[in-house]
Amino acid sequence: MSNENVMKGAMGTQLLLLSVVVLVISFGFAMMSIMSQGHASFNTNSNIPWGQPIATYLYFALASSGLGMIAALPLVFGFKQFYPIVKRAIFLAFIILISGMAVLAMELGHVFRMLWVIPFNMQIQSAMFWMGVFYVADLLFLLWKMQKMDAGDWDSKTSKQIAIGSFLAVLLASGNLALIFGMMSMRPFWFDGLLPIYFYLTAVASGLAALVFFTYLSHGFSRNKMSQPLQDLMNGALPKLFAAVLGGTLLFIAVRAITGVYTNNPEIYLVWRDYLFASPVYQASLWLGILLPFVLMLSKSLRNQPGTQMLVAVLVFGGLFAERFYFVVGGQVVPLFKGTWEWDLIQYSPSATEWALTFMGSALLFTLYLLGEKVLNLSAMPPAQK
Amino acid sequence: MAKWGMVIDLDKCTGCQACTTACAMENNTLPGESWQDVLYYHEGSYPSAQMKWLPRPCMQCENPSCVHVCPTRATYKDMDAGGIVFVDWNKCIGCKYCMIACPYGVRFYADEKPLLEPDLRDIFPGQKGQLWSPPYQNPEEDWTRGIGVQPKGVVSKCTFCHHKVSKAPPGTPDLDEDNPALKEYVPACVRTCAPKARYFGDLDNPDSNVNRLIGDKHGVRLKDSSGNKPQVYYLGAGAGVPAFQPKPRS
Ligand code: SF4
Ligand code: SF4
Repeated sequence: MSNENVMKGAMGTQLLLLSVVVLVISFGFAMMSIMSQGHASFNTNSNIPWGQPIATYLYFALASSGLGMIAALPLVFGFKQFYPIVKRAIFLAFIILISGMAVLAMELGHVFRMLWVIPFNMQIQSAMFWMGVFYVADLLFLLWKMQKMDAGDWDSKTSKQIAIGSFLAVLLASGNLALIFGMMSMRPFWFDGLLPIYFYLTAVASGLAALVFFTYLSHGFSRNKMSQPLQDLMNGALPKLFAAVLGGTLLFIAVRAITGVYTNNPEIYLVWRDYLFASPVYQASLWLGILLPFVLMLSKSLRNQPGTQMLVAVLVFGGLFAERFYFVVGGQVVPLFKGTWEWDLIQYSPSATEWALTFMGSALLFTLYLLGEKVLNLSAMPPAQK
Repeated sequence: MAKWGMVIDLDKCTGCQACTTACAMENNTLPGESWQDVLYYHEGSYPSAQMKWLPRPCMQCENPSCVHVCPTRATYKDMDAGGIVFVDWNKCIGCKYCMIACPYGVRFYADEKPLLEPDLRDIFPGQKGQLWSPPYQNPEEDWTRGIGVQPKGVVSKCTFCHHKVSKAPPGTPDLDEDNPALKEYVPACVRTCAPKARYFGDLDNPDSNVNRLIGDKHGVRLKDSSGNKPQVYYLGAGAGVPAFQPKPRS
């Protein structure tokens, strides 16, 4: 096997330095503005309480869950052709979740208080309580699984049980995250019992985008540097799966949009018509960030090409980030019970501090990833599969 | 224990906003942090256009969605305090989920861009954890019930003036500002209302005036389809919320 991990060399070090610099600057800027102005440095307010930092957290948390689901393909369901990416997937799932949680921590009013009030008050009625429980379980299972893999234990009974536990935690965590929105009947744009399915699909789509991107990055964007089993996967099952989940995502967006525009309820159709579809950014992200990648991945000749795969990964990153943003903000743009004090859809665009948090999360992800590539062997797979 | 309820007669309300002002003075809220507000709506078009307005405190819902979603039990409904819904400022983590879940839009984070310039938080900088420290403050303070000047990073809301109503003699059916023995216990918005459009009393007491008004004058709860079951009732024509409509585009 040609273990040509370019991230172990000088290029990895340079990228690591760059990531650390971006991390320090974005964290420093966000911290300074939050310390000096509090949450007045955000453009959120009592009418739009959840803005881009929450969308960023959602994006990261779901990408992590998607990676966890992809890792379950070989580990739980026996699709052995996915073994070459499984360790990288578990590692990425872990660090993306950490990065998302870091962004969320900067958004909350009292993050340290959370550590004791949630466990001591056991409010099991709240979906947000369960979000804490399931994502902590998810994080621990990922860590445990990572440690087993790193120790070369792929097949023991415990290792398999951890894989199953991890998969269940991922399903519960991301499904429950969907219900945080989907159970809110007072926010009809979100209110939807099938939202967990939509979250699962888009989670896998963003997980695949991350996996493709980081796998190419670690191999210097060259297919030839990959091991044979990994090349086979990139030429076979993985792009097909990518095409399928993008198709599912499009279908889900389409049915939500059609029911949304069809209904007479102004709190739903106005969001679709006057907020989502009226926004050039949303339009671009839908057509270029989801539909175009789907079309590219449908073509047998195109989908196996490294260039197409990398392009699709990057387009899907952007497309799904916008999807999360417009989903989170879209549920709040119709003012609740404000009369003519708020006589229109509420306007919101993120402030510099909120952007800094998005950059901070991304830079933290890159930093942890590059450290991982240096310290661990993320291309490892069970000896029998090589 | 009583179950405190409020009745607002829209046929008497003039939309003067005295209640809003009294509330802000009583509770030292910032501009925009309107625990009590008067909402204006217009509906229809010429020749049958209407203008309507609705005073809006927290509805102290019987089935409060804000309480259900709060992950920390910082928001809680206290049946021993007349069913008032409080925010414990020592427990709130500022996740803002309750603000998402309240159908009546009555919860405030306040740690946000100022509604008006100059920012009062710059003029009276906060001390001892307060978000701002105005020179004249209501001495009543109880952070476990969200009473006092709001600290940073938490959510605030109307408390039905718990610091007043809790001192009323037990068993009082109605807190009527015209009764000199009771006027100090009446919520600030009710006490100040010049046309006497607001009433405050015990919804569990069959002899209370609020119950009689609701029964005789067909009291309604706003947005009743939310299922939250407000403890605030409205009387008179115009007790309804028009559907959301955006500004006409030119
Ligand atoms: S009106 Fe809103 S804040 Fe008040 S009790 Fe009901 S849900 Fe809670
Ligand atoms: S912001 Fe505070 S009161 Fe509201 S749900 Fe979160 S912890 Fe509870």
